[in-house]
Amino acid sequence: MIDTLSFWREWLPLLLEGLKVSVEVAFASIPIGIFLGLVFALGIQSKSKPLQALTVFVVELGRGTPVLILLQFAYFGLPSAGLALSSYAAAVAALAASTGAYTSEIIRAGLEAVPYGQKEAAIAIGLSRRDQLRDIILPQGLRIAVPPLLGFSILVFQGTSLGFAIALPELISRAYFVGSNTFHYMPIFVLAGLLFAAICVPATLLVSRLEKRLSRYTAS
Amino acid sequence: MTDIRVDSVSKRYGKHVVLDDINFRIKSGEVVAIIGPSGSGKSTLLRCINYLEPPNSGIIAVGDLQMDCEARPANTDLDRLRRTVGMVFQSFNLFPHLTVLRNVSLAQERVLKRPRKEADERSMELLRRVGLADKSEQYPSRCSGGQQQRIAIARALALDPKAMLFDEPTSALDPELGLEVLTVMRELAETGMTMIVVTHEMRFAENVSDRVIVMADGRIIEHGESAAIMRSPQTARTQQFLHAVRDR
Amino acid sequence: MAGNFWSILAGVPLTIALTFLAFAVGAIFGFPIWMMRMAKTRPVRLTATGFILAFRSIPPIVWLFLIFFGVGSGDISLSPFISAVIGMGLITAANMAEIYRGAYAGLDIGQTEAATALGIRTYHRFRDVIVPQMLRTALPSAVTFAIGLLKDTSIASLIGVQEVAFQVNALAQRTFTGFDIYVIAALIYVAISLPFAVIARWADLTLRLRVAR
Repeated sequence: MIDTLSFWREWLPLLLEGLKVSVEVAFASIPIGIFLGLVFALGIQSKSKPLQALTVFVVELGRGTPVLILLQFAYFGLPSAGLALSSYAAAVAALAASTGAYTSEIIRAGLEAVPYGQKEAAIAIGLSRRDQLRDIILPQGLRIAVPPLLGFSILVFQGTSLGFAIALPELISRAYFVGSNTFHYMPIFVLAGLLFAAICVPATLLVSRLEKRLSRYTAS
Repeated sequence: MTDIRVDSVSKRYGKHVVLDDINFRIKSGEVVAIIGPSGSGKSTLLRCINYLEPPNSGIIAVGDLQMDCEARPANTDLDRLRRTVGMVFQSFNLFPHLTVLRNVSLAQERVLKRPRKEADERSMELLRRVGLADKSEQYPSRCSGGQQQRIAIARALALDPKAMLFDEPTSALDPELGLEVLTVMRELAETGMTMIVVTHEMRFAENVSDRVIVMADGRIIEHGESAAIMRSPQTARTQQFLHAVRDR
Repeated sequence: MAGNFWSILAGVPLTIALTFLAFAVGAIFGFPIWMMRMAKTRPVRLTATGFILAFRSIPPIVWLFLIFFGVGSGDISLSPFISAVIGMGLITAANMAEIYRGAYAGLDIGQTEAATALGIRTYHRFRDVIVPQMLRTALPSAVTFAIGLLKDTSIASLIGVQEVAFQVNALAQRTFTGFDIYVIAALIYVAISLPFAVIARWADLTLRLRVAR
């Protein structure tokens, strides 16, 4: 036990450096991804059939492909098409694309949850299509989408661990490095797991509390 | 004989008193209507009688089975209580994943340990009695609200209970569908079934029930022969309530 | 190119087997965990909550590495495939427990009351009334999870399970190309999940017709 603790103390700084990379990548890909999600959500609701079909195709492909394959595609695949990305950029690109595909569904559900009467009222007071969306539908729909978007963001943070596969120096890559050099795989991965849990468990509990609070206001 | 006796029964949710010292007796074969404004504790009283909500104090006796409400109820007593007293809910609560026939048969098999064939035969008999034998293989969702409530009555009768509790059985129904349920209930009353009915149907209270209990704020404020109470209520609260429901 | 394509397809059976086994493990073990999650005794409840939180908050790759390198390097040796089945199975169990919980919470309290009023005891109340209805309401979320699981099995390639993602990377390294190989891989995953989605939609519709009130 004491051995494990001192082992942890020895390697914790290295893992924390990795954790910092994980957090950075997550913080870069989540906003880009949610913005993409909004664009996709609006694309799916678009009146233009070709645009709608294209968006559906992109979203379904993004949701249907494992994140690991997206990462490897961005890092190992794109260079053969003439676009070489650093492992950082590739991770952000892949995670953002995946986030966009998934959150488009969350945002679409939020927009659809706004009662139709709101749209009718907006039309009745003479708002243009653009203003209906900007002033009436989006503010209400996005508010509904906030808890599931936060929930998904936790998953994106967990997804950064797959950066291991493209040599992104995040938490798991560091832990694996320590494990393969010391052969103490068990304690180092337990520590890595605890670091993930230290962030994700409180975050999950907060999100579910927020969810309950919001549902109380919208239920009746 | 299966008389029902409710002796100084009280029920609280935290500090909020829902039932305050309720006392009454019902003789075997009597039909009693419980009326009163919403929130008066009528439904809670009914649910206390079969221990869906355990009361906090008092005694509930059905036939020779006596429940001391301050003690933890024994499972065997609960089983006996529920076999002796059937219940019909406001929202029917049929099991949506079972056919009409299976809804009526389930408790016979699980509680009375009747073989399936025998249970199904008895169920068909009961479904005929409520006029729904042709629906036996349907799922409840394919039946109208009135039909569903008649099925729920058949389901409760399947355990051959000595008494039946009805919790606002027609409140969720359109008037003409409520009528078919009331007809079944009237026929049941004529067979000599002991019945306690929480209801807003003043005509049922007046014409079918022998006695009426009027509740307000968790207490019985008036109790007597149906005709007497409905025609010349004694308390101002009852007069006010009857006035309000009849004006509707 | 045609030959390359076949070498990727060789990974499909393992991908499907891993998904299927992990899901079976999780769907079964999720049940007692859900029951524990609802238990009246606090320590039992907390154990289940801890299990669920741990397996949902720590990413799959950590569990697979823990089991394969950590446990597997000790006295017991575990093959990559078995490690992956255990790891993904436990993750599935935690998620299925939550799905069961959601389905139970969505059930009308009147169903429990009606069964209780009929004198049906706890065991049969669950077996005959509650669980059959729960399984139907849980189906859509369970299928959504299973499709997610199918994609997550790609992570098993990192501990050497020779499923689709493993074959893809081996091929990409052999040929020094990548673009089209990864696109093909993506299409294979979409193709495998498609029948799931179709069956789920069909099952959901027919069941909803039946259970609808």
